[in-house]
Amino acid sequence: MKVEPMDEIIFADYLAETRKALKNQVLQHALADLQNRFGRGTALAYQNLPEGPDLRLKAHEIRMEAIGNLDVLLATLAGNVRKNGGQVFFAEDAAAAVDYCLGVAARHNARLAVKGKSMISEEIGLNRALANAGIEAVETDLGEYIVQLAGEGPSHIIAPAIHKNRDDIGRLFADRLKIPYTNDPPSLTRAARKSLREKFLTADIGFSGCNLACAETGHITTVSNEGNIRMAITMPRVHVAIMGMERVAARLQDHDMLLRLLCLAAAAQNMSTYVSYIGGPRWKQQVDGPQEFHLVILDNGRSRILADEQFREMLYCIRCAACLNVCPVYGKIGGHSYGHPYSGPMGAVIMPLLAGINAGRDLCQGETLCGACRDACPVNIDLPRMLLALRAKLADGDDRWNVVRADRGEKAAFHLWSWIIRNRRVYEFFLRLASWGQRFFPHHNGMIRRLPPPINGWTRHRDIHPPAAQSFMQRWKKGL
Amino acid sequence: MEQQAFIGRIRSALGRASTTAPNAADLCTSRFSAEQREILERIHNRSQAQRRRLLERLKEMAAPIHLNIIPVQDASQAAAAVADLVRHKKPEWGEQKCIATWKHPLVEDLQLANVLSDQQVPVYVIDPNDRQFKGLSAAQARQQLRTRVIASYIGVTAADYCMADTATLVLRTRPGQARSVSLVPSIHIGVIHIEQIIADLKELYALLLWDPEDRKEGLTNCMTFISGPSKTADVEATMVHGAHGPREVYILVITNSAAGQILPGR
Ligand code: SF4
Repeated sequence: MKVEPMDEIIFADYLAETRKALKNQVLQHALADLQNRFGRGTALAYQNLPEGPDLRLKAHEIRMEAIGNLDVLLATLAGNVRKNGGQVFFAEDAAAAVDYCLGVAARHNARLAVKGKSMISEEIGLNRALANAGIEAVETDLGEYIVQLAGEGPSHIIAPAIHKNRDDIGRLFADRLKIPYTNDPPSLTRAARKSLREKFLTADIGFSGCNLACAETGHITTVSNEGNIRMAITMPRVHVAIMGMERVAARLQDHDMLLRLLCLAAAAQNMSTYVSYIGGPRWKQQVDGPQEFHLVILDNGRSRILADEQFREMLYCIRCAACLNVCPVYGKIGGHSYGHPYSGPMGAVIMPLLAGINAGRDLCQGETLCGACRDACPVNIDLPRMLLALRAKLADGDDRWNVVRADRGEKAAFHLWSWIIRNRRVYEFFLRLASWGQRFFPHHNGMIRRLPPPINGWTRHRDIHPPAAQSFMQRWKKGL
Repeated sequence: MEQQAFIGRIRSALGRASTTAPNAADLCTSRFSAEQREILERIHNRSQAQRRRLLERLKEMAAPIHLNIIPVQDASQAAAAVADLVRHKKPEWGEQKCIATWKHPLVEDLQLANVLSDQQVPVYVIDPNDRQFKGLSAAQARQQLRTRVIASYIGVTAADYCMADTATLVLRTRPGQARSVSLVPSIHIGVIHIEQIIADLKELYALLLWDPEDRKEGLTNCMTFISGPSKTADVEATMVHGAHGPREVYILVITNSAAGQILPGR
């Protein structure tokens, strides 16, 4: 399958970016603050649900049913959207989706596009494609707008600009919006409000993502706090919504639960400020709303995930970012280290699956498997299990996913190790060898300071206990 | 074509033939249940005292999200409240004060044009069927109305429902009930009757699905939930109101039970 813009994603910088992030004090501070507020707030909110925290398990079942019947749901959704007067395009890959969007824009002679925050448009590389076609594409979520002005990518789904402090943003706005320097958040917000209002009122076409769709009624739902998505899909002549094919719920009733969990999980809110259910273009008698509504449903590697029972669960994801808000790894390395807007535990599973497991190796190996993400996930996705499954593929290779075994030496070493620990005598021999040999390494306070290569990584940041002179088994035999 | 191939790929990923797929109507139809019936009955049999309690709940939930709830007796008190806001609030983008309103019985009952005439504030009813647009094409009328909404600093709408638990206005779009009126002006005033307050999303969904009137109309092509003013925390996690949508939102709740008679569908 062709997965174009994904090919260009470079995960090779994972380690370098990680080191940079760890040294960045602004980022470290912001990440800690973010996790403190959202991570805890969401956990508390789950406890206070009228149905109790088990609602997450119920939501898991609903998602399982939806994904297990995705063929029927998508056909029904498409039928109902068309019945409501909308147009539906099924895009096999990013290139097809982008071509379709450009086609719509060209038919309407669009020069200016406004965009609501949408991860999926980053996935298909829409901004660059629009720019290449001579169409100005403006991100309108304040955080996205900031990172776009700075020529960067978002570092968190809900808070795209958390890596910047108010001084950074003040300087950026002074430079790019030609306003007097200020670092006062209300003034900065007002400056963006003013400049973006112009864009909203003059844009020819609005792009949005889709948080959830409902097959029964043929609606898509968008959620925001700023109102930018409402602006982007109300004021321009055309609205194009792009959705990952997995974002569909069967019935309106399922929507209730998913929407509530989404708002809680994303920002510990009972309800986001704006929720719009869009079902088609403006009717003849209506004053406003777009004259055309297009829904682009994207596969781009998702059907391959669907086909693998081990990873199908990843398609239950509603991209709420709750897992980012509790992940100890994300909390230190931030979003940019992941090399793509899909970051955190969710990104560490989805990116290798979408862009290649070998290419995304560092992502799935970088997480700790602590399980915090699973507990925070509103649909109870077992991310740690899938991280492990990805690692197993890296260790053993896998034809179906074109995974080349990551490291033959590593595999051989583990075979050897497994043989050693299954043979008591050999094991004892090595233990004795180790307790004898350790005296040659530098010590400090009774701890080994440094181990020799290739295992020197163990002692790079800490000392380790030396092996005991006698093993437990030896002492046991002697009657302790 | 591309749809067939697409769905075909999903089908083979799921490992089934088109003949073994479940029936779409079964799968994608909400089911009426005893629980749903109970919810509906609860809504329809609500006593005046219970409605008052919902109003209190609404006030309680609205406060932390900076949503202002103003209970008023009747339409004339509501109109006075609007006049008061018009007097004290300054336009954000220009000098001229003007307001845009929905064409809706609850809003019309306020007679805002009269009430605001002494302040010399024009009231634009955003209605394409208004007499003044006779002779204009629909596109021309729309263009004029759009300009008026953009010029207005206050937008007055009604609402279909208001959910107390989340302090959320529910607005459906109809001719004369434009989406932009609750979005583009700097201040949004929603006028509702106390009978329109419901408890939560569950009740809303039950109404949308099973109440004969609501069901007939469905969600319309744009149903919007509004819970408070537009807000952002994208600059150093500092909460600021008025990112793109209205900076302030007021809900005027008319409590006089007789006034509910003018609600559509009664
Ligand atoms: S994996 Fe779960 S917690 Fe993470 S973004 Fe997806 S739905 Fe949210």
